[in-house]
Amino acid sequence: MPGRLDANRSAVGLSDEEDGAPSGALMVRVGVQSNTLRPYLNAVRQTLTAAMCLENFSSQVAERHNKPEVEAGASREVLLNPVVISRNDKERVLIESSVNSLRVSIAIKQADEIERILAHKFTRFLTQRAENFVILRRKPIEGYDISFLITNAHTEQMYKHKLVDFIIQFMEEVDKEISEMKLSLNARARIVSESYLSQFN
Amino acid sequence: MAFRKIDIDALEEDALGQDELDFQEIGEARSRQEVEAQVNSRAQEVRTLLQRGNTGGALSSSLQSPPYGRGFEAAKARNTQTVMEVLNSIKVAEVAQLVKNLNPEEQDVLMKYLYAGMAAPEQNNSGVLLAWHEKLTEVAGQGCIVRVITDRRTV
Amino acid sequence: MSDLPNVNEFNLGPISCHAFNQDRTALALSFNSNVVNIFRKSGSGWSLAWTLAEHDKHVTSIDWAPKSNRIVTCSQDRNAYVWTLDSASQQWRPSLVLLRINRAATFVRWSPEEDKFAVASGSRCISVCYFEEDNDWWASKHIKKPIRSTVLSLDWHPNNVLLAAGCADMKARVFSAFIKGNDKKPAPSPWGEKLPFNTVCGEFSSGTGGWVHSVAFSPSGDALAFTGHDSTLTIVTPAAGSVQTIRAPSLPYLSALWLNENQIIAAGHDCAPHLFENKGQQWAFSASLDSAVKKADVGFTARDTFRRMDSRAQSTTSNDTEVHTHHQNTINSIRAFTGDRNHVDQYSTSGIDGKLIIWSTNNIAKGMSNLHL
Repeated sequence: MPGRLDANRSAVGLSDEEDGAPSGALMVRVGVQSNTLRPYLNAVRQTLTAAMCLENFSSQVAERHNKPEVEAGASREVLLNPVVISRNDKERVLIESSVNSLRVSIAIKQADEIERILAHKFTRFLTQRAENFVILRRKPIEGYDISFLITNAHTEQMYKHKLVDFIIQFMEEVDKEISEMKLSLNARARIVSESYLSQFN
Repeated sequence: MAFRKIDIDALEEDALGQDELDFQEIGEARSRQEVEAQVNSRAQEVRTLLQRGNTGGALSSSLQSPPYGRGFEAAKARNTQTVMEVLNSIKVAEVAQLVKNLNPEEQDVLMKYLYAGMAAPEQNNSGVLLAWHEKLTEVAGQGCIVRVITDRRTV
Repeated sequence: MSDLPNVNEFNLGPISCHAFNQDRTALALSFNSNVVNIFRKSGSGWSLAWTLAEHDKHVTSIDWAPKSNRIVTCSQDRNAYVWTLDSASQQWRPSLVLLRINRAATFVRWSPEEDKFAVASGSRCISVCYFEEDNDWWASKHIKKPIRSTVLSLDWHPNNVLLAAGCADMKARVFSAFIKGNDKKPAPSPWGEKLPFNTVCGEFSSGTGGWVHSVAFSPSGDALAFTGHDSTLTIVTPAAGSVQTIRAPSLPYLSALWLNENQIIAAGHDCAPHLFENKGQQWAFSASLDSAVKKADVGFTARDTFRRMDSRAQSTTSNDTEVHTHHQNTINSIRAFTGDRNHVDQYSTSGIDGKLIIWSTNNIAKGMSNLHL
C-alpha cells in the first residue's frame, strides 16, 4: 500500500509539468489526484468539526475583556493541543484550538518556483482584503501560507457546518486556482516566445 | 522604568502553569531508563507478533501504556516509530475490522499516534495515516478526535 | 400533551441561557446580550412582557426561584442582581449582590431552599450569597481553594449545603457551602459528615483533560454526573467508591440533566440530546433522542453526486453537511420542565440557534426501538 500511494504522488507531481495534455489525460490526472485528496479533505473536515466547539469565554487575565484565547495565549488551561493534518510534506493544515477561538493555517502545494510565486501573490491578494473575508487572519502563522481565525462570535452568527464547508472549499479551490493560473501563465509565455522567435525565421 | 516591562500576569499565583498542566493527569513520574526499557521491549514484542502474522495483537500491544510526559522525547519517537511500523504493515482491507476490535481507550491512543505521525510528513507516509484516520473516525466518532486535542498526555 | 418536541423559535439571536417560573407560564431568556427578556405564555406562543436591562455586558446565566418567585441573573460585567416583582407596579426591581469578584460571573443557581445562591466566576472562586437582614442586602462568602481556573457550572445538592462545581482546570469538585447562622446542620451523606464552609468533599476528573462544562447531582444527591470538553460523561458514586467515565463518540456535551436515578440526558455541540442509562451498575450511552427526519436526498444528478464525493469528501447518502436535528446549532442548556426531581416528565433545551425546545420523556420508554444513533 505505501508503494502504491507513493507512485500516485509522483504521478501527480509529474503531471503538473505537462500543460498541453489533451482533455482525456486531464480527466485521468484528476482521478488520480483525488485518490489522496479525498481522505485528506475528509480528515481536515472531521478535525475541524471536532475542534470547532467554541463558547463565549471572558478573559481571566484582563478584567471585562473577551478576546480570542488562541491569540492571547495568556491562560494555558484554555488552550488545546494543536494538531497537524498532512497530505505530504508540502501540503498540510495546522489546527490550533482554544475555548473560544480556533486558528486554521494552510500550507498550499508549491511544487516549483512558479507555483511558489503564484501562491504568494494569491494569498497576499486575499490577506490584504481580509476585512471582506470575515474569518481570514491578516498574517499567516509561520511556516504556512494562509491562516483563518474563527471565534465564538462567528460560530454563533453562522452555521458551523457551513464554516467547515467554506474552509474545505477554499482548500480545494486554491489548488485549482493556482494550477489554472500556472496553465494560463505557461500558455501566455509560449505565445509570447513564439511571436518573439517568429521574427528571426 | 524597567518595571513597566514586567509581565505581572505571570506572577498570578493561582494561574495554572504549563508544568502543572503537563503533569496533572500523568501521576507518578517514572525514570527515563524505565520508560525507554519498556518502549524497547515493546518494539521487540510487536515485531515478533508481526512476523507471526498476528496484526491485531501487534496493533493492540503497540498501543499499550504509551510514554507520556516531558523529558521522554527519545522514547516517544521510538514508540511512534513502532506504531508506524504496525500501521504500514497492515493491509487496507483489514483496517476497518482491526479498528473495531480495539477498546475505546486504545482507539483514543491510536488517534493520538495518527496525528503524531501526520505532524512529521517527511518521516511518515501521510497517505497510509489518512486512510487509517478515515476508518477510525467512522468507528470511534469525532469524540475520539476531540480527546486528542483535549488530552494533555501527548505522545 | 403530545410527545413530539415543542419547538419555540424566537429568532432574536443565540439564546445564552433560559429559566422558567414555577407554573411554566413565564420564561426568562437572554439573547446573547446584556438584557434579560421575560416572556409570558400567550396561546401557543410567547409574548414579551418585561425587559430587564441592568447589566452592561453579556448575561451568562439566569435562575428563577420557583417558590419565592425571585430571579437572579449574572453577567460578564462581574455583577449579579436579584430581581423581585413589585406587586403594586408589576415591575421587576433589581438589587445588586456584593459578589466581590473582579472577573466575569459565569453561572448562577438558587439553592433548593432558595435562601442562598451560588455564583461561579472567572476570578477562580465561587461566591455563595445569602441575605443579610441587618444590612438588607445580599452578601457573599468565597469558596477559593483549590480552584485554579474559571468555574463554568454549579449544581446544588438537595440538602441545601453541598455544592458541585465544574471548572476549566479539568476538575469537578464537591464543596460544602454551609453558612453559619443560616443553615441547619445537614444529615450525614456519602459525601461526608462534618461540613464546615469550603470543605472539599471530592475532586474528580475524567482523565483525558477537558474543561468541565456541566455538573449535576442525582435526584437523591448520592451520585454526581459531569460532562467534559473531552466528550466524556463521568458518574461518581461515592458510597460505592466508583468513578465511571464514558467516552462518547460525539462532540462535547455542555449540559446534563438527571431524568431519574438511572437516566441522564446530555446535550451540547452535537445539537441533539443524548440518553445515558444505568444498566445494572454500569452506565452506558443509549440513544440520541432527536429522531428528526432526514431530508430526502433528491435533486442531485449523478454527475453532481460524483463530483461532490470526489472533490469535497462528502458522502452523498448521509449528506453530512446538513444538520438533521431540531436544534440547528449547539445546545447550551437543559433544564427540567415538568415533573419533580425524581422523575422528570418534560425538559427544555435552548441553543445558539435561538430555539427553545420542550421534549417529552414519554417517547424514551415507548419508542426506543425506532430511535437510532
